[in-house]
Amino acid sequence: MEHARHVFRAIILLVVVVAVVSIGRGFLVPKSYGLHGAYRHDNVKEQMEVRAPRHGGAAACAACHAAEAEKRAAGAHKTVNCEVCHGPVSRHAADGKRIAAADVDRSYLLCARCHRKVLARPEKFPQVVLEQHVKDMGADGPVEGKICLDCHHPHSPTP
Amino acid sequence: MPEIQGFSYPNDIHVVWSLMIVMYPYVTGFVAGSFIVTSLYHLFGYQAFRPIARLAMATSFAFLLVAALPLQLHLGHPERGPLVIITPNFKSAMAGFGILYSSYLAVLVLEVWFVWRPAIIERARRSRGAARAFYKLLALYTYDTSPEALQVDHRAIGLLAGIGLPMACMLHGYVGFIFGAIKANPWWSTPLMPVIFLLSAAVSGIALLIVIYQVLSKVKGRPADQDCVAALARWLWFFLILTLTLELLEIVMMAYERSESWLIISELLTTRLQFSYITMQMIVGGLIPLILLGIVVLMNRYLHERLRNTLATAAAVLCLLQVFSMRWNIVVGGQLLSKSLRGLRSTMELEIFGREGVLMAIVLVIVPFVILWVFDRVIGIDATGGVAEAPGGEGDAPAGVAGTPAH
Amino acid sequence: MDPKTPTCPPPSAASEGAPDGQASRRDFLQGALRLASGAFVLFSGGALAAGLPKPGAPGEGYDWSEHRYAYLIDTQKCIGCGSCARACTAENDVPEGFFRTWIERYAVSTEDSHVDSPNGGKDGFPPLQVGFEVTKSFFVPKICNHCKETPCIQVCPVGASYRTKDGAVLVDGERCIGCGYCVQACPYGSRFILPETHTASKCTWCYHRITKGLKPGCVEACPTGARMFGDMKRDGDPVRHTIEHDRVAILQGHLLTEPQCFYLHLDKEVR
Repeated sequence: MEHARHVFRAIILLVVVVAVVSIGRGFLVPKSYGLHGAYRHDNVKEQMEVRAPRHGGAAACAACHAAEAEKRAAGAHKTVNCEVCHGPVSRHAADGKRIAAADVDRSYLLCARCHRKVLARPEKFPQVVLEQHVKDMGADGPVEGKICLDCHHPHSPTP
Repeated sequence: MPEIQGFSYPNDIHVVWSLMIVMYPYVTGFVAGSFIVTSLYHLFGYQAFRPIARLAMATSFAFLLVAALPLQLHLGHPERGPLVIITPNFKSAMAGFGILYSSYLAVLVLEVWFVWRPAIIERARRSRGAARAFYKLLALYTYDTSPEALQVDHRAIGLLAGIGLPMACMLHGYVGFIFGAIKANPWWSTPLMPVIFLLSAAVSGIALLIVIYQVLSKVKGRPADQDCVAALARWLWFFLILTLTLELLEIVMMAYERSESWLIISELLTTRLQFSYITMQMIVGGLIPLILLGIVVLMNRYLHERLRNTLATAAAVLCLLQVFSMRWNIVVGGQLLSKSLRGLRSTMELEIFGREGVLMAIVLVIVPFVILWVFDRVIGIDATGGVAEAPGGEGDAPAGVAGTPAH
Repeated sequence: MDPKTPTCPPPSAASEGAPDGQASRRDFLQGALRLASGAFVLFSGGALAAGLPKPGAPGEGYDWSEHRYAYLIDTQKCIGCGSCARACTAENDVPEGFFRTWIERYAVSTEDSHVDSPNGGKDGFPPLQVGFEVTKSFFVPKICNHCKETPCIQVCPVGASYRTKDGAVLVDGERCIGCGYCVQACPYGSRFILPETHTASKCTWCYHRITKGLKPGCVEACPTGARMFGDMKRDGDPVRHTIEHDRVAILQGHLLTEPQCFYLHLDKEVR
């Protein structure tokens, strides 16, 4: 074995490196890792609290806008959440107080997104070919510039 | 903005794995391929490779040192790269990288140390001052070069080569597994993938060594050993045949079965990948070297030295292109088709600068040659340290390239 | 203990060294080796010893073991308005060009089919002309399927992607190294790499909402009730009832990923 001394040196060096890495690794594993699986369990709570919910649903709007909510609930848009047209409530109110206007696009584009007749929309769903609808209503000219709201109240749109 | 033909899932239009992920299997392919060549000598005693056995080991080592770089350059968070060792998820093939790379690095470092130990000790004896201290440290402060010690070295080298060969194959094979195990992508998902990767790694490693050997012969002014060149050509031809067979088999099988993805894949191969797959990978990089190497191997007896060198080198260069195209076609090609199987996007634009740019890829290939050059200056790739050959023909003194003649 | 053996030395005395207090060199080496290997195992095993698993509650008042969420989509009801995709973007700050949810439109005949999803359907769908006579056409909302046996968790090399006990597949943005393997592994194209943080991201079923008893943003926004969210552990849950009793379909079922998003009225053209 006298002639293998260099081999032992190399092996000891290797063992020391492996030991240092293994022990060092142990200090770097996060505390909640492995509790319920191969992941950092603390992240679950972080994901639950990643941000405050921004959409409140129709009930959140009804808290302050009872009249509009009632009108909507009685009309054809009763399944359409207010936020679909007005944007998330978090942009409009916080802590029960108004922080900004809940802007809404009053041009025909907003209505057209749902009600323009396009391929694949279910047949029974109320939709129109916009150019034809403009003519049928006795107006002329292009669709641009026409306001659907002139005839259709958005919260109870059946004219 | 990429052009989409057909329908791609909206998130599928982004190419996530780009040039660095093409370079990574290319580099580890050199590592594995060179190691196969050196193991054929050190482990199996294949004498024809004796002149380049050391060069092959040094090449494998040099490329191994840069093998982690393409991955680090690609990661969204390179500083979190070590997490693969700290909290590896062993169900993931990619997590194997930490263990495979570090253990193979340890084996190769040890083997390099054992092979070049006499040369290091010789340098330690011959130098003074800071250089002497450096060489003494490299030798781990032992200076035993007696025949018994060399016998121990010889056995250690054999053992390390025996452990190292499957490790090198796994280090490259797991990359193929990473692709082959993705059932979501039909261009990647095949059990053949690890095998194809490994065989083309052998092709790239042998081709690289042919080229390096020829270049070094020219530079040092010593003729390349013709038995060695013929043997390299023979093994390159053998691995090339296997590689091309399997690559074609994959396509033929898909077409014959009319698998669900065949329609979009055949469109991918004939439109987006027409140049890189049909022209480069199969014809320029496949058929032509197949013929050239066939001439070198089958007509070996009739060939003049210069013709053999030229044909082998030309074939080797084309093979290097073939393996690069193959990596490109798999990594990038697989991302050009959407998982909807209804859409193809336009070819990925290569950036020149930047972390995953062309310049970075070129640097990545040049650095190992710089390492080889430093290795040659500091220790000497073919230096034997002036010791007599250990029984069994380990301590080699090559007829050809660099360094000190045998004593 | 055998009652027939009256003398039993107390445990503390038995573990001491030789009674005369003289430790031999061999004992010392053995002890040192045991101590060293014990320390080695303790430290290299990580900090698991520090934390004990708590019985299932990641937050006060919410017990994840009481829920197992599922998602149901009725493609017959979808009108392709894109409100869901817009709500998702607003709720989760999803960057332009990336989609946690999207809608696809299918135009099908017996000979041919055409699929499109302009900007994921976020701005609704424009009129469409195709070069063949369409016999059926419909919209299909798509979302991360939160699969039970998902390949995306399997391939994450650092354990940044995981599945909660209540069924949501999430990504730990602090540990994700941005390798992109999960993006490649998802058969549904649900994942993407965020351009700003360079980490993987995807639909979370609005985990920050559902754990407070709210519905995900997309479900909240859908004006026709095409998207539904339910709890398989809640008695009387309508989504649970439909999944258990009606004919439902999943996407790419042959891959055995066991998605938890179920579809009603799916067509063979949909992948």
